[in-house]
Amino acid sequence: MNAPFFKYALFGDEMSLVVAFVIGIGFGFFLERAGFGNARLLAAQFYFRDLRVLKVMFTAIITAMVGAYLLGRLGLLDLSLVYLTPTFLVPQIAGGLILGAGFIIGGYCPGTSCVSAATGRIDGMVYLAGMIGGLLGFAEVYPSIERFTKITAMGQITLARQFHLSYGFLVFAVVLMAFGAFVMAELAEKFIGGKEPGPGALLEPVRTFTPVRRFAVVLTGLGVVALFAGSPYRSALAQVDTKQLALDALRAADQVTADQLADWLVEGRNDYLLVDVRDAQSFAAYHIPGAVNLPLSGLNHDFAQRNERVVFYSDNAIHTAQAWFLIRSLGFPSVYILAGGLETWQEAVLYPRAPAAGAAPKDQIDFAKRMAVAKFFGGSARGATSEVANPVAPVLPKLAPPSPTAPAPDNAQPAKKKKKEGC
Amino acid sequence: MSSSTEISPAEQPHMNPYWAGFGLGLVLLASFVIMGRGLGASGAFTTAVATTVHAIAPAHAEGNAFYAEYLGDGATSPLKDWLVFEVLGVFLGGFLSGALANRLKFTIEKGPRITNPRRLLLAAIGGALMGIGAKLALGCTSGQALTGGALLNLGSWAFMMCVFGGAYGLAWFLRRAWL
Repeated sequence: MNAPFFKYALFGDEMSLVVAFVIGIGFGFFLERAGFGNARLLAAQFYFRDLRVLKVMFTAIITAMVGAYLLGRLGLLDLSLVYLTPTFLVPQIAGGLILGAGFIIGGYCPGTSCVSAATGRIDGMVYLAGMIGGLLGFAEVYPSIERFTKITAMGQITLARQFHLSYGFLVFAVVLMAFGAFVMAELAEKFIGGKEPGPGALLEPVRTFTPVRRFAVVLTGLGVVALFAGSPYRSALAQVDTKQLALDALRAADQVTADQLADWLVEGRNDYLLVDVRDAQSFAAYHIPGAVNLPLSGLNHDFAQRNERVVFYSDNAIHTAQAWFLIRSLGFPSVYILAGGLETWQEAVLYPRAPAAGAAPKDQIDFAKRMAVAKFFGGSARGATSEVANPVAPVLPKLAPPSPTAPAPDNAQPAKKKKKEGC
Repeated sequence: MSSSTEISPAEQPHMNPYWAGFGLGLVLLASFVIMGRGLGASGAFTTAVATTVHAIAPAHAEGNAFYAEYLGDGATSPLKDWLVFEVLGVFLGGFLSGALANRLKFTIEKGPRITNPRRLLLAAIGGALMGIGAKLALGCTSGQALTGGALLNLGSWAFMMCVFGGAYGLAWFLRRAWL
């Protein structure tokens, strides 16, 4: 199973909107079921009368956390492809405090206010209107506070990486913490709110193994499994299907020809990553437009997203093949080699050979096409007879860095302008 | 869950919070597995605001880095957005659940010691603060606390602690609105 399905292109953008709608229905349904359409019930959390906000939120968090961990560990879900909102510590602390204030003043958060408005609550509708006003105000002052919103940028980082703890240990600790908090919450409801633990509470005064208690034991058990089962990220369990690799290599399914690559570049396709595995010096001297430089020693599992198409090239066939093998074995499914490397790129694309005088018209037309492509990349034609004139010295002109006026600058690949994935 | 057998349909009690949380967690997990992303809410409203501003004053919206981020490349409508469709689903899901439990009612949720206009004023202020806070934090309770919480995201956990801190810190001053 290659999950997340969307990131492995199992369905397209249009279908993803249908998925969004269905997932939204589930989200809204359970928010309303939980009583989150009612501001007074939500606010009761902060007076220790009814701590269902804590119970619902943390049950949801540990359910999804344990599920994602197990699916990741079993190799069914590539956790590195699940979007992680980048951390900007100080803005997020400030935002959290403001949001908390908004929660107790207004009684809702954005998701719950939708459910509240949908069930006819006028305060929920007014809250939504207020939120739109707040967003508008934020947007208008954004240019002057933009710098503050970007401070303490820490990138996409988990607690496990920040504190050098094992992911599995954290899963276990959070599950344990959550159930500890639930028991405390029920005690608080009893002693501060005066509400005895009723049916369905963990502390319900019966001696039987109620469903809620069974649920707690199962999740805690899975937490213990996580404690010993290691990292859920795929790189930790890199596996090589040697037979599949050998078959791909035999069928040359792993190769892209120089002409193909030239076409992609001319078309401005941006659905692949072109990687030059030579050293930085050679890269600076010349590289194929749009390529990034990653010497062999710099390749590791996070150089690209695992669902990305990667094309390697070099002037050294062995190095290219090694890069291909390395990255395939890290579980990247679509990895390609530029057939013939830079040498073929020069021969076939940059400096095409003119046909001999009196060649077939088909060859002449073909050559005209090649010339157009060569010009696009700043190359030129070679005479048909040059080889004969000077058989020993290399015929190819020395590769120079693309001149500033070269028609195909590095940004031949249009920058991806994607909308943000986060909230 | 117990069901009421009165003649006029009475509101059903709310679901056990642990089971509601379990259901919510499964929805979130499904989103991870199918889409590779979590849930959200505030982002959809930001997209709606950006699109509206763009329709009224295109130059103004395009010149603002914040709006621009939500407007996309212009090739497709910014409203054809994952979060926008998800939030439309949230409205429908909430409505369906409310209808099934006889909880659909035009009313104002508040404590007994506050007038309606005051409660609505507070709701508007709270909403505005929420909008500002969510944008500063790159997400709200859904996108940050729930989603990031389950992914052990560093910033999300710091954010979540601060949400509870902020709300508990002010609770005493707002007791007349709720108790």
